[in-house]
Amino acid sequence: MDIEKGKTYKYLREKREVTQAAKDNQKQFSKIKKSILEALQESDLTIEQLTQKLNMPKHEVVYYLMSLVKYGFVQTDAVDDMDEYFSYKLKK
Amino acid sequence: MHGKILNTSFDALVIGGGIAGGEAALNLVNNGFKVLIIEKDLSIGGKMILLSKVFPTLDCSACITTPKVSEISRHPGITIFTGSEVRKIIRKAENSFEAEVIKTPRYVIAEDCTGCQLCEQACPVNVHDQYQYNLIGRKAAYIPFSIASPRVAAIDIENCTLCGACEKVCPTKCIDFTQETEEYHIKAKTVVIATGFNLFDPLMMPRYGYGLYKNIITSMQMERQLAPTRPFNTILRPGDGKVPDKIAYVLCTGSRDVTVGNPICSQICCMYSIKQAQLLMGALPMADVTIYYINIRSFGKGFEEFYDQAKGMGVNFIKGKIGRISEKENGNLIMRYEDINENIVKEAEHDIVVLSVGVLPNTDSAALFPDGELKLDPFNFVYQTDPLASPAKTSIKGVFVAGTASGPMDIPDSILSAGAASSEAMSYLIRK
Repeated sequence: MDIEKGKTYKYLREKREVTQAAKDNQKQFSKIKKSILEALQESDLTIEQLTQKLNMPKHEVVYYLMSLVKYGFVQTDAVDDMDEYFSYKLKK
Repeated sequence: MHGKILNTSFDALVIGGGIAGGEAALNLVNNGFKVLIIEKDLSIGGKMILLSKVFPTLDCSACITTPKVSEISRHPGITIFTGSEVRKIIRKAENSFEAEVIKTPRYVIAEDCTGCQLCEQACPVNVHDQYQYNLIGRKAAYIPFSIASPRVAAIDIENCTLCGACEKVCPTKCIDFTQETEEYHIKAKTVVIATGFNLFDPLMMPRYGYGLYKNIITSMQMERQLAPTRPFNTILRPGDGKVPDKIAYVLCTGSRDVTVGNPICSQICCMYSIKQAQLLMGALPMADVTIYYINIRSFGKGFEEFYDQAKGMGVNFIKGKIGRISEKENGNLIMRYEDINENIVKEAEHDIVVLSVGVLPNTDSAALFPDGELKLDPFNFVYQTDPLASPAKTSIKGVFVAGTASGPMDIPDSILSAGAASSEAMSYLIRK
């Protein structure tokens, strides 16, 4: 097949099948990202509040939320009065 | 899926691009020898480039490593293969080795990548970031880490969904999914083994609860949290994002322990834990840091003073052996330990527990040579045939060992060891 520069992914698609695990992982991340961003759209939240809202284990919320901070979707806001838990807000 | 076999030759083949391999390569090239470094990772710099600071001087690790890595990368006499592994090495003649090297595709034309990270932004995939020791995610199209060398994107093909988003946004059109695995046959006159060490996996000690309790982390995970390129905005518990107040260190996790098959001291855990304790007291001034130890081995220059400095700063040292760790509902951890001085069993509660994991041998290098030619010592590090007079000599003439491939040691000793290996390699090359 002709390989067009900038569209070489099509070439590899012909030769290699994307694993189901990779497809599932992408879908799961998109879903969690959407739910975290929607929750934060309503108000700034702590990890505890996000956990209750999303019904997800806390450590998973930490992992995905911090990844979204890294990717520039979310930013860290103020810490509580006990200097223990930060709240998080959407990056505008 | 191999392309054509490529043949090339060098004076010295250095296996491993960490601090020892890099130092050995620089010494060799600065004396006029042509060097090839084979690095299995996507960046050179080894473990040192990921550290926060070094003990006992508390100098910034990246500030020491980056100029050296840059010098190695830019030197015209050094060729670097990243993402590559040596499959086997055969001694062909008195001064000739032939190595089979497999270079896996990066799916990026390195020379054209500007490191702009637009591909990273466009990629919809999120997977655990191995360079942040799984504390956060990274994309499938990614720059390994901000000070990586080369600072070039790579595609994690196992997790890539081939959506093409990265290619669409790449301004230099450097993403190339047509790249294939390349096989090289390398001729070299001498070989330096600088394959480093592996960190102990605390999953091998289920009584500590690592993996089960999310607020138990390894020292390398804490190291990342303390580094300028850290995963979080400050030190946080991965279990719930709380800023920890009571922090515990468990020394000798996977060292001096016959039950996990590693009876020897890792030589670095006491000092890196004391270093981290001091850095934590700077980052979290109100925090209590407790170090549970069997013996503090402060054997090096300035180490005892560094230990005293930590005690002076308020780090609490308890001579105690941990029996087990359990978790409370709030994520706090209960340490059940034997207080060695008082000879009684006690319990203590902490917010986060850091396991100071030990140094294990990387046995990959032994498998490179046929018929067990490269001998290992009783602890599976590369055997030094003459450790006092010629510490870099191995059981194969013309093959030398540098750094932690020969045993646990700290960074200055790794650099000294690399100096010895390069000197002996040069002496061998000149004699030929």
